[in-house]
Amino acid sequence: MYRLVSILLFLSHCAVFAQDAPVTELSEVNLKYIKLKDSVYTTTQTILSDSILKRNQSSLTSLLNFNSTIYLKENGLGMVSSPSFRGTTAQQTAVLWNGININSQTTGQTDFNTINTRGFDQVIVKSGGGSVVDGSNAIGGSIYLGNNLTYNEGFINDVFLKYGSFNTYGLDYKTSYSTKTKSFSLGFSKAGSDNDYEYPGTERVNLNGQFNNTNISATFGFKLNNENTINIYSNIYDGKRNFSLPTPNALKTKYYDFNTRSMLEWELKSDKIVSKTKVAYLTENYEYYPNINRDFNTYGKVGSLFVKYNLDYTLGRMLLSGGFNYNQNNGEGSDIQHKIRHLGSIVLGVKQKVNKWFLYEASVRQELNNIYESPFLYSAGLQAEIASFYSLKLNTSKNFRIPTYNDLYWEGLGNPDLKPELSYQGEISNVLYLPNTSLTLTGYYNTVENLLLWTPDVNGIWRPSNAENVNIYGFEALFKAHKKIGRHKLDVSATYAYTVSKNEETDKQLIYVPYHKLTTSLSYGYKKLSAYYQFINNGEVFTTTDNAPEHIVNSYMLANFGAEYNLGKGTNKYTIGAQVLNLWNETYESVLNRPAPGRNYSVYLNFNI
Amino acid sequence: MNKGLKLLTICISILFLQHCTSEDREIIVDNQPLSGDYANGIFVLNEGGYTNSNASVSFIDASGQVYNNVFFAINGRGLGDVAQSMGFNGDFAYLLVNNSNTIEVVNKYTFESVITIENNILNPRYITFVGDKGYITNWGDPADPTDDYVAVLNVETNTIINTIPVAEGPEAIVNNNGTIYVAHQGAYGYGNSISVIDTTSETVTKTIEVADVPGNMIIDNNSLYIICSGKASWTGDETSAGIYKINMVTNLVEDEITFATGVHPGFLKKANNSILYTLNGAIYNIAFNDFTLPATALFNTSTQNLEVLYGFNIINNKIYIADAKDYVSNGEVLIYNMQGEFQEGMDVKIIPNGFYNNN
Repeated sequence: MYRLVSILLFLSHCAVFAQDAPVTELSEVNLKYIKLKDSVYTTTQTILSDSILKRNQSSLTSLLNFNSTIYLKENGLGMVSSPSFRGTTAQQTAVLWNGININSQTTGQTDFNTINTRGFDQVIVKSGGGSVVDGSNAIGGSIYLGNNLTYNEGFINDVFLKYGSFNTYGLDYKTSYSTKTKSFSLGFSKAGSDNDYEYPGTERVNLNGQFNNTNISATFGFKLNNENTINIYSNIYDGKRNFSLPTPNALKTKYYDFNTRSMLEWELKSDKIVSKTKVAYLTENYEYYPNINRDFNTYGKVGSLFVKYNLDYTLGRMLLSGGFNYNQNNGEGSDIQHKIRHLGSIVLGVKQKVNKWFLYEASVRQELNNIYESPFLYSAGLQAEIASFYSLKLNTSKNFRIPTYNDLYWEGLGNPDLKPELSYQGEISNVLYLPNTSLTLTGYYNTVENLLLWTPDVNGIWRPSNAENVNIYGFEALFKAHKKIGRHKLDVSATYAYTVSKNEETDKQLIYVPYHKLTTSLSYGYKKLSAYYQFINNGEVFTTTDNAPEHIVNSYMLANFGAEYNLGKGTNKYTIGAQVLNLWNETYESVLNRPAPGRNYSVYLNFNI
Repeated sequence: MNKGLKLLTICISILFLQHCTSEDREIIVDNQPLSGDYANGIFVLNEGGYTNSNASVSFIDASGQVYNNVFFAINGRGLGDVAQSMGFNGDFAYLLVNNSNTIEVVNKYTFESVITIENNILNPRYITFVGDKGYITNWGDPADPTDDYVAVLNVETNTIINTIPVAEGPEAIVNNNGTIYVAHQGAYGYGNSISVIDTTSETVTKTIEVADVPGNMIIDNNSLYIICSGKASWTGDETSAGIYKINMVTNLVEDEITFATGVHPGFLKKANNSILYTLNGAIYNIAFNDFTLPATALFNTSTQNLEVLYGFNIINNKIYIADAKDYVSNGEVLIYNMQGEFQEGMDVKIIPNGFYNNN
C-alpha cells in the first residue's frame, strides 16, 4: 500500500510542477454556474469520452480495467468477464444503456466482454449506490453506455480499422447526418480474434478461445418544435465465443449471445418543466453449447418492457422531480420456468441550490411488486463549495438488488421466498481543484445485507438463499491534470482504490476483491503526433473464502503504449496509430488458471470526414 | 530542454520505475517425506475447483502427519482439472482427472509421473483392474446420453486398446473374478441399472435393473451390495432410494431395502461385518446378516460442523469423511473410530473427495 500511495503522491507532485503555467480550467462542475438538471451532484462520476474509447481496446472490460477503480476478472482474454466495483459482487454493478438497466435478468450481471464500446459515444462510470435513479443492482456503482444525438452537423463519416496480434481485428463505421431539427446516426462495429496466444512462460497455447461479435447502433432524433423532441435508440449485439480450454484435452465449448435493445423517448422541455417519457423493449438470449460439435445446448431468454416517466419542475432555486417506472419481464430457459413478472416503482426527489456554494439533494423510491419484499430506497447528499479550490460532497443511500430469474425460478432449486439484497452506504468526497489539476479523495462505507448466493447443503446440492452480510469500506483517489506549453500537450490521469470487503460472519475478504488497484495514464501530444502510456497495478486477490494464501492470484502490473499521427488537414482527421499491449511482457492472470497474453501489437487507422 | 519535455521525462521515468517492483508470491510446497516413502499411508484426493486446474493429492502417513500437494512437489506441475478418483495396480497409481480428460500414471511409492494417458479418455470417472487390464468408466460428452463407454487400458503399454459402449452415466465399477459390474448413476440424466461385463469377450452380458441413481458398490461373500440414492425432490420427479443385494452367481436381485419417500442416502462402504452408509451428514450401520434399515444413526458429523459430506471411506478400522466446506476453500478430513467417536481432523486442500489406502 505504502508503495502505491507514494507513487500516486509522486504523480500528483509531477502535476504540481505545471502550476506556474497559464491557467486553464478543467471542465469540472462548478456550482456557481450550473443549472440544476436531472443528475446526481453529490457522488462522483467519471466520463470516458470518444477519444479515450478509441485508444482503448473495444471491450468494456479492457476500457474500465485501464481507466477506473473497478476490478475486472476475465476468464481469459475475451471470455466471460465480470466487475467488482467498490468491493461488491459481479451482480452489484448496474449497466445502463441510454438510461435503461441492461443487466441480465437471468444472471443479474452484465458480461463486460459482451459490450463493444465502439457502439457508444461515451461511457460514464458512476461510483457508489444509485438505486433510486438506476434501479436494481446499483450498489457498487453504475456504468452508463450512452449514444449522443447531435444536431446541425451535416454529414459525418467515421471509419476505424484495427488489426493486431492473434489475428485480432476491429472494424467500425459510423455515419451520421443532422440538420437543425433532425438527427440520424448508424454505427456498425465488428470485432474478433483467433485469440490463440501463447501462455507466457509455458509451451501451452490458448486453445478454442476464438471469438467475434457484431454491434449495430442507430439513433434518430426529431425536434418537433421548440419544446418537443422524439428520440429513437436501437442496438443489436450478436456475439459468438468459443470458451478457451482450462486444460489442453478438455471438451470444447461455445457460447452465443444475442441481445436487442430499442427505445422511444419523448422529451418535453419548457421554461420550468422537463418531462421525459421512455418506452423500451429489450431482449436477451444466450445459448451454451457444452460440446461445440453437437447441437445440444442450454439456453435462457428474457424479453423486458420498460416504461419510464420523469418530470422535473423548476421552482426558483429548487428542482422538484417525480416519476414512475414499470418493468415487465417475460423469461424462460432450459432450466428456468417460464414466468412473467411485473415490477413497478415511484420516485420523488428534490434538489436545491441554496446559495452560490451550497447544494443539497434528496430522493426516495418505493418499489412495488408482489414477488419479493418491496423496499423503500433513498438517497440524500450535499455539496459545499468551501473554497474556490475545495468542495466537499456527502452522500448516503439505501440501495437494492432483486433476485434473478435463476434465483427465483430455476427448476426444482429456485427459491421463491428470496428477499432483495439491501445496501446502506455513506461517502465523503473531497474535491480539490488546482490550476490544471483536480484531485478527488473519497472515503466510503457500505453494508450489504441478505447477499443472494447459491450455497451447497450437506449433500452438496446448491440452492440460492439470502446467505451473508458483507461490510465494505474503502478509499478512492481520482487524479487528473493537463498542461499545455506551446505545442506540447500533456494529460495525466490516475486512480487508486483501497478496498476492504469482508464477510460479516467470517471476517474474511471476499474472493476476487483486491485490496489495491492503481491505474495511471499519460498522454503527450506535440503538433499532430501523440503518444500515450497506460499502466495498471491490480493487487493480489484471494480465490478461496478461507483466504488461503496458496490459492491467491498474484498481483500484476500491466502497461500499454501507443502512438498516433494525424495526417489530416482542417477538420478532417486521418489518424494512423500503433500500440504495444502488455509492453513489459508481464505474465499474469486475473482469474485462476486463465493466463493472459504476453506482449502483443496492433495498428489502427481512423478516418473522420 | 524546455519545461514540457522535462516534465514528460520525469513522468515517464516514474512509470518505468513502477515496473521494477512487480513481485509474485512464491508457490508454497509443503515439506515432503523422502521419495519412496508414500507407503503405509493414505492418499486423499482433492478434486480442486471446476476449471481452476488445481486438483491435488494429500498424503497422511502412519503417524498422522499430512503432506499436501504431493503430485506437484514430486513432478513440478499440477495434477489437472477436477481429480475424480484413483486406483492402484502393481506399483502404480492411476489418477483419473475428469475435466482434463487425462489419466496420470505415477509410481505409488515415489509418486513420480510415469505417463499421462490422453487418448480415448473423455470424462473419466472410476477405474478397476483385471489382470493386466484397467477398466475405466467414461461419460463421454456428458450431454450425449449415447456415447458413454468403458475404456480398456493395457497397463503394460498404458494405451487404451478397446472401448465398450454402455448405457448413460457409467460411474462406480467393481471386479469380481473377471466379471465387471458398472453402476449407471447417470450423467446429465439419471440411470437405474447395473451393466455386467464379461472381460474375456469385453461385452455387456447382462443389465440388472435397480432403483434410480445407483452409486457405491461393495462385494461381500459373493453378493454385490449397491446403494441407489433415488431422484431428489428438486428434480421434479422424486423417487425412492434403496440398497440392493445382488447374487453374483445368478446376477439376480436377491434382496432390497427401500428408504422412505424423501430420504436420499449418499455413500456406502464395507465395514467388518456390516455396511455403512451416509445420510444428511450422519452415518448409519446395517449388519450383513440383518439387512434392514437402522432406526438410528451410528453417529452424526454435526458436532464437527461438517458442511458438505463429499468423501467417505473405511480404512484400517477408521472412518474417513471428507468435508468439502463451501467448495471454495480448503477442505478438511474428519476421522472417526468404528464406534463413531471423533478422533481428529486434518486440513487438506480444495474439495477433498476420496481416500485411498497405500499399503
